[in-house]
Parts: sequence; structure tokens; C-alpha cells
Amino acid sequence: MTRITFPAPVESEVAEKLRAEVRAFLVAAIADRAPLVRAESWNGFDRKFSRALGRRGWLGMTWPKEYGGHERSAFERYVVVEETLAAGAPVAAHWIADRQSGPTLLRYGSESQKREILPRIAAGECVFCIGMSEPDAGSDLASIRTRAERQGDGSWVLNGTKLWTTYAHEADYMILLCRTSGDTSDRHNGVSQLLIDLKKVSGISIRPIFDLMDQHHFNEVHFEDVKLPDSALLGEEGQGWKQVMGELAYERSGPERFLSSIQLLIELVGVLQSRECTAAQTAIGRLFAHLVTLRHMSRGVAALLEAGENPATHAAIVKDLGASFEQELPEIARGLVDEAPDIHAKNDFAAVLAYTMMAAPAFSLRGGTREILRGIIARQIGLR
Amino acid sequence: MDDISSLLFDAAERLLIDLSAESAPDETQYLLNWRKIEEMGLPLALVDTERGGIGLEPRDAFELIRVCGRHVTPFPIVETMLSNRFAADAGTKPNCDAVSELRDLSERQREFAALGRAVQMTGALETILSMTVEHVQDRCQFGRPLAKFQVIQHSLARLAGEVAAAAAAGDHAVSKLAEGGDASLMATAIARTRIGEACSMAASTAHQMHGAIGYAREHRLQLYTTALWKWRDEFGSQASWTRLIGRMVLAKGRDSLWPMVTAA
Ligand SMILES: Cc1cc2nc3c(=O)[nH]c(=O)nc-3n(C[C@H](O)[C@H](O)[C@H](O)COP(=O)(O)OP(=O)(O)OC[C@H]3O[C@@H](n4cnc5c(N)ncnc54)[C@H](O)[C@@H]3O)c2cc1C
Repeated sequence: MTRITFPAPVESEVAEKLRAEVRAFLVAAIADRAPLVRAESWNGFDRKFSRALGRRGWLGMTWPKEYGGHERSAFERYVVVEETLAAGAPVAAHWIADRQSGPTLLRYGSESQKREILPRIAAGECVFCIGMSEPDAGSDLASIRTRAERQGDGSWVLNGTKLWTTYAHEADYMILLCRTSGDTSDRHNGVSQLLIDLKKVSGISIRPIFDLMDQHHFNEVHFEDVKLPDSALLGEEGQGWKQVMGELAYERSGPERFLSSIQLLIELVGVLQSRECTAAQTAIGRLFAHLVTLRHMSRGVAALLEAGENPATHAAIVKDLGASFEQELPEIARGLVDEAPDIHAKNDFAAVLAYTMMAAPAFSLRGGTREILRGIIARQIGLR
Repeated sequence: MDDISSLLFDAAERLLIDLSAESAPDETQYLLNWRKIEEMGLPLALVDTERGGIGLEPRDAFELIRVCGRHVTPFPIVETMLSNRFAADAGTKPNCDAVSELRDLSERQREFAALGRAVQMTGALETILSMTVEHVQDRCQFGRPLAKFQVIQHSLARLAGEVAAAAAAGDHAVSKLAEGGDASLMATAIARTRIGEACSMAASTAHQMHGAIGYAREHRLQLYTTALWKWRDEFGSQASWTRLIGRMVLAKGRDSLWPMVTAA
């Protein structure tokens, strides 16, 4: 079957009631954030804000209560996620942990890992980073060289370098993918995931890498003879590939893959709303149709997750379409408004346009490039 | 969808496959085939049972229209279904003759027909996708199937994404119409806009992947692409539907954008 169908989004009264609560909370909680700051979307980092969400029970929402979760539905979680994104709230301090590290721990973690860490994530007190990419392993993740050697007493010694690690400089923990046996020619065999307490172990150096906006989000993380206890293993030794693919499904499936530029659309509507201009109506009409359709599809992905299915292909489609949508947006905006992009401008539109233009190239890279996603879709329709 | 509806969809699909085998039936053949369509009850599928129809409820009605879109035939089945539905709504006695053009529609009827076309387009898009996937698997050049070339795989991955997006937009508009609230007009406008755009991309990609053979009259691909080029601007051009969304969004303004997204 070549047709890929998305289940209809589930409408839930409970979720809609929650939406009103979240909106009311956000109006007050981030009142002071200017449009340009809101445009940072899920790059905005603020531990205080994450703790406030945690106090309201809006992190780890779907997890069991015994691990600090709230046993709510994926649809309720989706509401919190999309409302915080759409408002431009600073979500980075909990984003990765709530989205993928927590669920990975819940699925594969040992009892003590779960008990120690999950409640802290749910409280908004625990920042995670993703240790996948390396200098020689980007799209071809199976070619990682970072290596952990098992010692006689069961502990590990870790050596290697992770690259592009977002918020490693703030993070408390990293989930790292490394080789634990064989070599790169063994590909998917012999790799494992380790849980690393970045604040406790020595031998780790974190070097900032500034991005094209001169901002410091990502890093190079170097491990030199880092000693880790036996208990650092996450899940099963040698099963890291399967585990990391599951983690990537969480990473790719959320609404941040088409909502991270919404501030620009908001500003664009603000500029165009007073004009009687058919070109503006056409452009806004089209963008709105795309956005709403992406959201339906994305809520369909949430329904698949809730049903315990693996939505890898569906997530790839939403992420691919979402990245194209978001990358088109600044180009369309500058075609309609006579305003040069300027990140220092007082004019909100000009500043947000400049920011979004510079953020845009990353949309089709991070979390799996466009080409990798299209390969996944092509496999699903039987071409590979 | 209940069991009876799904039996009807299967039977209709089989009939349509038979009917689509003949691209240019002569007059006798045409009438004979239309009899078969009548016997299955398709012209009255959207008419209430009290008025002698099948009385499909909205979701099933549109599913039947999607099935019709999957198999382009020379017979105006969807037009006739809609025409009888509107006649019945107005209290006129429906009849089973083929109707090829819908005239003098009220606003609400035009909206309904526009969504019908949109859903019919999603059916045709499915067929274009599967046709194209099959073609690139069968056709060999440079000693291997076209499907083995990455650039071909990626074009088809994009096509599959567009087809999925179109289906999602159509499904959503159908459920809004079935719910019967105020959100239906916006959802139909979104479906027409998003599906229309998917049609442009799908037609051009499918033709590109098929090469010259798809440009030949004998090949079935052109039946679908030429149908889409016509359908996407019927019952309101795609451009007019898109502008309608734009006007609604701009009228509410900046601070209502996100609430409008979640309400749509
Ligand atoms: C803002 C940002 C934040 C990031 N944060 C993290 C993080 O926190 N943790 C982490 O582990 N990683 C992170 N990454 C890294 C990201 O996962 C990689 O950029 C991505 O996997 C691609 O790898 P690469 O950059 O090495 O590109 P490459 O793999 O070298 O690819 C370069 C180009 O070649 C294409 N290409 C590669 N292979 C093929 C192929 N087989 N067929 C066709 N085309 C191909 C790619 O699609 C791409 O267009 C981040 C990246 C960005 C931009």
C-alpha cells in the first residue's frame, strides 16, 4: 500500500479545558517577552519557567505517577507543548528531557535510573542533552567512534567526541550513543546508550560552538578516559541502535517541527491586517491552510503514539513538510513587506524576520536532515 | 463506516474498475453502463432513504466520492449524486439520469459540492501516487529500475507527503461538515487550498516520473492529471478559496492567529 494515512485528531474536552488554563497561565508568565525573544521558540532557555511548568503538572504528563508523572493522555500533553510553542515561551530547559530523554528512560531505564531522574524531569529541574552526532558521524549515525570499554569490575571507560550537542553547557545529563564492542564496520551492532551525569564525572570538556547568529546553543563535548559506573548503561548492552531509533521517533514527531517560526507569521499578519491587498490575502490564506493541515497531521501522530504505534514515517512526513513550510515563510514575508531584515530593529517584524531567516537553515538539518527523512518515506512506499 | 457502507464501497470500486477499462464507450455501451451505475444505486447514494435513496451519512457519502475519485471514468457519477442530493433537499423528485453539470447552486450547495470535489481529488491523488510508484518500479533505465535512483525516491517521497497532507485536509473538512458547526466553511476553504496545491505538485511529479509515455493519450495517467487540473478550480477557483481564508485571518488580526489555528 503506497497510501500513508493519518488518523483523525482526537477531540477531547479535558484537553480543551486544559488549553484555556495553559493560555491563561502563559499570558501572565511570559508577558515581558518581546516578539524577537519569543521568536527563539524552543531555543529559549529559562530554568525558572520550566520549574513553573513542572509545579503545574505540565511536564512528564503522560508518565506513571510513581515516577513523578501525571498519567494524562498524549493529547493533553500535546496541548501544553503546542501552546507553549505558539506563545514563544522559553521551553529549552525541559524540552529535550520531556520530549525524548524521559520517555527513553521510562522505556529502557533501570528501576533506580527511573526513580532518581524522572521525578526531577517532571519537576522541571533536570536538563538533558542529546549525544548522538560526532565529527565523522552526522546522517550516518552508525559510524560513531565514541567508545566505552567495559572494565573488569563492570565499570566503563569512555573516550570520544560528540558534536553539535545543544545545551550541553547547561545540561545535567546526556544520553549518549557509543560503541561498546566491535568497530564501525559492525554498523548497528555493538552500540549502546549510556546515561551520563555531566555534573558529577570528570574528564569531560565542553567547548562552545557559536552559531551564525553568534549565539551559543551547541557544543563540542570531549570525553577523555571518563570513568562511569556499571549503572550508567541505559537499556541493554548492544541494543543501542534500536533504542536510539525509538528516541529519534520522539525527537521528530512533535509540533516544534512546524511551529518554531510562528512568531514571524504572527508579525506578518500584524503588518498585513490593515491592508486591502489580494496578494496578502492569497499568501496568508495559503500559509494558514498549510499550518492548519500540518497541525492535523501532527495531532494524528500524537494519536498513533497514544495507541502505542511507531509513527516513524508519519513523523518524517510532518517534519519534512514542516521544515519546507517554515523555510518558505521568511521568503514569502519579505516578498510582501518593504522592510529590510534587521535583528536590532525596533520594528518587530524586521527583527523577527531577520531572526527567522537565520534560524531557517537548521530546520531541515537538526533531528534528521530532509534527505534522510525522504529516504525513510521512500522505504515505506516500497522504493528501497 | 458501517458494514453496509463498506460493502457498497467495495462493490462501487469493482464496478468503477470495470467502467474505467473503456475510455471511449459508444452510445449504446454508454447507456448500458449507466444502467449498471443506476442498478447499484449510485445516483441516489446521497439521497435520504425516505426519498428512495441510500441515505449515506456525510462521512460515508464523502468516502464514496473518494472512491469515485480513485477511478476516473467517462461517467459523471459524482455530479449526478450531488445533483440528486440537492434536488431532494429542495423537495424535487430525484431522477437517475446522468447530470454532467450542476447549475444554480445556493451558497451552501456550492460549499458542499466544493468539498465533494476536494475529496474526489484526494482519491485521484492516491491513484496517481500508486501508479507512479508502480511505474518507477517497472521501468528500467541504465540497467536498473528507476526506483533505485535516489533522486527518484526523493521525488516520490515528496509526492507521498503531498498526498498524505491532501487526505488529512480533506478528512478534516469532512468531519467539520459532519459536525455541522461554524468551522465548516473555513475547513472546506483549507481543504480546497491545500489539496489544490498538492494536485499541482502531484501532476507535475507524476508526469516527470512517467516520461513521454504518461503524456500519451493512451496512458491512464493523463486522465487523472487533466481531471485534477479541471476539478481544482470548480465550485470556486482555488485562488478564491485561498483568498477567503486570507480575508478571514486578516480580519481577526495578529492576536487571533493562533486561536484561529486551534479552532480551525
Ligand atoms: C541547530 C542544530 C542543533 C543540533 N543539535 C544536536 C544535538 O543536540 N545532538 C546531536 O547529536 N546532534 C545535533 N545536531 C546535529 C544534527 O543531528 C546533524 O546536523 C544531522 O544529523 C546531519 O549531520 P551533519 O550535520 O553531519 O550533515 P551530513 O550528514 O554531513 O550531511 C550533509 C548533507 O548531505 C546530505 N546527505 C548525507 N548523507 C546522505 C545520503 N546518504 N543521501 C543523500 N544525502 C545525504 C545531508 O542530508 C545533508 O544535506 C544539531 C544540528 C543543528 C543544525
